[in-house]
Amino acid sequence: MLTAAFIVVVSLALFWMAAFTLWWQMHAWRTPEVLAATRFGRPDGEAKLSFSLLVPARHEQAVLEHTVSRLLRSAHGDYEILVIVGHDDPETAEVAERAAARDPERVRVITDTHEKKNKPKALNTALPHCRGDVVGVFDAEDQVHPELLAHVDHAFRTTGADVVQGGVQLINFHSSWYSLRNCLEYFFWFRSRLHLHAQKGFIPLGGNTVFVRTEVLRQAGGWDPNCLAEDCDLGVRLSSEGRKVVVAYDSEMVTREETPGSLLALLKQRTRWNQGFLQVYRKRDWRRLPGFGQRMLARYTLMTPFLQAFTGVIIPVNVLAALFLDVPVGVAVFTFLPLLTAAVTFVFEIVGLHDFGIQYGLKVRFVHYLKLIVGGPFYQVLLAGAAVRAVWREQRGRNEWELTSHVGAHLSREDVLR
Amino acid sequence: MTSTLPAATTNRTTTRPPAGTPAETTTDSTETTQMTAATATAPAPAQETGPAAGAGTAAPRRPRRRAAVERISLALLPRPRATRTDVLLCLGLLTVIMVVQAWNITRFPNLSDDEGTYLAQAWAVQQGDGLAHYTYWYDHPPVGWLQIALLTWIPSLISPDWMTVATMRYAMLPVGAVSAVLVYALALRLRLPRWSAFAAMALFGLSPLSVVLQREIFLDNLAVLWILLAFWLAASPSRHLWHHFGAGLAAAVSVLTKETMLLVLPALLVTMWRHSHPETRKFAVTGAITSCVLVGLLYPLFALLNSELFPGAGHVSLIDGIVYQLSRPGSGSLFEPGTGSHAVVQSWLYYDSVIIYGGLAGAALLVVTHRWSVTARALAGPALAVVILAVVVTRPSGYLPAMYVIQALPFLALVLAAGAASVTHAVLRRRRPGREGIPQRRAVTVARWTAAVALGVAAVAVVAPTWYQGNKTALTEDANASYRAAVAWMGREVAEPADTRVLVDDAVWLDLVHQGYEPGTGVIWFYKADLDPAVTETLPGGYRDIDYVVSSPTVRRDAVDLPIVKDALENSTPVAVFGDGEDRIEIRRIAGGDR
Repeated sequence: MLTAAFIVVVSLALFWMAAFTLWWQMHAWRTPEVLAATRFGRPDGEAKLSFSLLVPARHEQAVLEHTVSRLLRSAHGDYEILVIVGHDDPETAEVAERAAARDPERVRVITDTHEKKNKPKALNTALPHCRGDVVGVFDAEDQVHPELLAHVDHAFRTTGADVVQGGVQLINFHSSWYSLRNCLEYFFWFRSRLHLHAQKGFIPLGGNTVFVRTEVLRQAGGWDPNCLAEDCDLGVRLSSEGRKVVVAYDSEMVTREETPGSLLALLKQRTRWNQGFLQVYRKRDWRRLPGFGQRMLARYTLMTPFLQAFTGVIIPVNVLAALFLDVPVGVAVFTFLPLLTAAVTFVFEIVGLHDFGIQYGLKVRFVHYLKLIVGGPFYQVLLAGAAVRAVWREQRGRNEWELTSHVGAHLSREDVLR
Repeated sequence: MTSTLPAATTNRTTTRPPAGTPAETTTDSTETTQMTAATATAPAPAQETGPAAGAGTAAPRRPRRRAAVERISLALLPRPRATRTDVLLCLGLLTVIMVVQAWNITRFPNLSDDEGTYLAQAWAVQQGDGLAHYTYWYDHPPVGWLQIALLTWIPSLISPDWMTVATMRYAMLPVGAVSAVLVYALALRLRLPRWSAFAAMALFGLSPLSVVLQREIFLDNLAVLWILLAFWLAASPSRHLWHHFGAGLAAAVSVLTKETMLLVLPALLVTMWRHSHPETRKFAVTGAITSCVLVGLLYPLFALLNSELFPGAGHVSLIDGIVYQLSRPGSGSLFEPGTGSHAVVQSWLYYDSVIIYGGLAGAALLVVTHRWSVTARALAGPALAVVILAVVVTRPSGYLPAMYVIQALPFLALVLAAGAASVTHAVLRRRRPGREGIPQRRAVTVARWTAAVALGVAAVAVVAPTWYQGNKTALTEDANASYRAAVAWMGREVAEPADTRVLVDDAVWLDLVHQGYEPGTGVIWFYKADLDPAVTETLPGGYRDIDYVVSSPTVRRDAVDLPIVKDALENSTPVAVFGDGEDRIEIRRIAGGDR
């Protein structure tokens, strides 16, 4: 009897968790009107704001030039590019100086002299040098659409937003089974879930294609140099202050990126994010959110990696327990509830992959759908592994610098093969 | 690919639809909201209430071309909203329906064997005896009588004796009420004009055929409620992903309530397709199919967990149950007089030929006008349901149960009402000359209205006598006097019911249980004596171990294939007879018994 009650309670908890996640994941497709509202408005032609675009680059000599020249093709008239390089990284600095020399009006080079380097420190170094009304952040390997700034300008003016988050999309879904799932994660996150967060007034921002009004950013004190997920942290702090965040996603306008080049790199990246989420959770800025619902959403979102790990392990155990322990059939049916939600999620992922292919004009083959399904459980194991690893590292105090130097973080992409 | 929807979207995530979405902008004007598909069979410029008119920012009108047939997308029509008038009309009609259905409900129609079966199984659920008091053998999914158990639960707590077929027919009234309201609401969502929605609800609730069948405790009535809910959700004007998902869930419950509802699912899919938006359609439709399939799979899962999915020695199984249902002896062709199917269809036509012939005609009209009538496209789902159900009836052989028509009733009512709306529109509006504000010739107007009124009067003249006769019978006749008398006799004359063994048909089984007979082996569903090994085991002496048979028409009909029941009938003498002729109920005492 006790076993049965326990199984029912666990099953129901799992069911509701999975159901909520699914509900939020499908936010953008709730109604045609919601879907239409997730897009950028069409710019009206008059650009009013000036932009300072920050491009932190560390050992990125191979791609930096291309990124900067692509940024310079922007259709917007009023912007500057600040490339941030380390004082111990002459190769990248040389590429940056060359770009600055070609277009001194637009491009400047800022040198970060911190002993131990990471992305938030680099961004903070550049913040005092920004002259624009709006600060935008890009990574050194980002492919940015020339029309993006005009759209963001329009978004700021028409909505009165303090922050505009554009879409980021991993594109190379065909590279491996995990990159397929990784791409789809981004798709659901930026295409759908983030819009829900913006609507609810609690949003963990992304690492790039994020634009903040300069004075707002300065008032907030810039980025947290000690946080492993400085982007998420900034979003949480700004939402807690009641700043208005607007998210827009246009498949033409997204910043395109690639997945980490190996499973290990993905695991490390995910560990860092998880640890960062945990740090943000422990910083408790989200407690200042005014609404109870917002705080619950914050709590749940920041803990998601760990809940995910937990559910990944417990769902199969729960079903096995129901099958092999002697429980009434009625109770056993309950244990299948979480499995049903998982099945629904799977189906929506398949449809999402199809939509992803259409949106980006990519050919999705049958084998990709197969990989998506078969890879699902393994990806779940990977996520669970990263979550456990993050907790373990955080417990042992192995955060920040040690980790950054191990993983390579955003800044050094040496472990990110292309 | 970024701007299939209007460009004037804000880039905020907001639940407000973007400006310029026709569906929203037109709701400003109540005039426009009243505008319905049925009154828009052809998109004439004179239709001031057309989708673009209220928008203000509407695209310029194209000059009218007489010959060209333009297709209006459903999405461009104004969103249907129920108003206070709708609520009042609906409640008023509902009161009438409830009075007609409730009056004389215990006495007409005949208590049916099936009603007894389902109610007894619901009673077993309430008693905590599992899904049936005899072995549950996967004849039908149990969801139907689980709902009956829930519906009758509180009344049965108040007075356990109420748990008999005649009394518990009252529990079907809320089911009929919800279904009737759903027909009205669905009609509005399918953009029928108000009067037509009203007519659909009246047809569904007041047709003598409906009145007779909806009074009975049939699983089909519950399944109809769920499928109507599914259609209503599928036609949700907000085109919400989770409404469509919910439609899938409701459809699954409907099928698990009565498996014949499977036939209607394609029609549901068509409705959902028609009423979803191209941009979100693939998520909505796949979501609905997924939810439906997953919930449907719970039934085989239940069987699997019981180790009763596959056939095997010594236990029942789901596969066996399905094989039985599919291999039931056919009742012949509907077109050959003398066959079972023919008789069943004749009995439907006897109660109400209007809803059947009219509904078929309505469906045919909608199919034919599909290309140019907005109504026909909006009603494609219900029309398809009628077509499928009709085609299945006309198959040359196969089993046709009498309650088969129940699942067709809401769709027949809807397409008949929609067909009437289409015809009315054609008479009143089609090829109306002149623009807004410029009156057409008075004579034409008079002629149009005269024709419309004449059609209306003719319709009433056809319907009224049939309905009057049918409903008069339903409201006054007492078809169950013999049953009641027989039950009373069994309670009065038998000294020790607890030690007496009786074969009865399912309809009065619960009555005898309440009189103190031992459920299952004391008072026995007559056919279980032969067909359920667990019961046969308790009758080692065959018919000699039985004391009485309550011989109803059903018992006499089925005894042919049941040796023990046949012996019991042949070796017994009537001690009391109620009624006469074919329908008489005899209480027969076994002659050579050892008691």
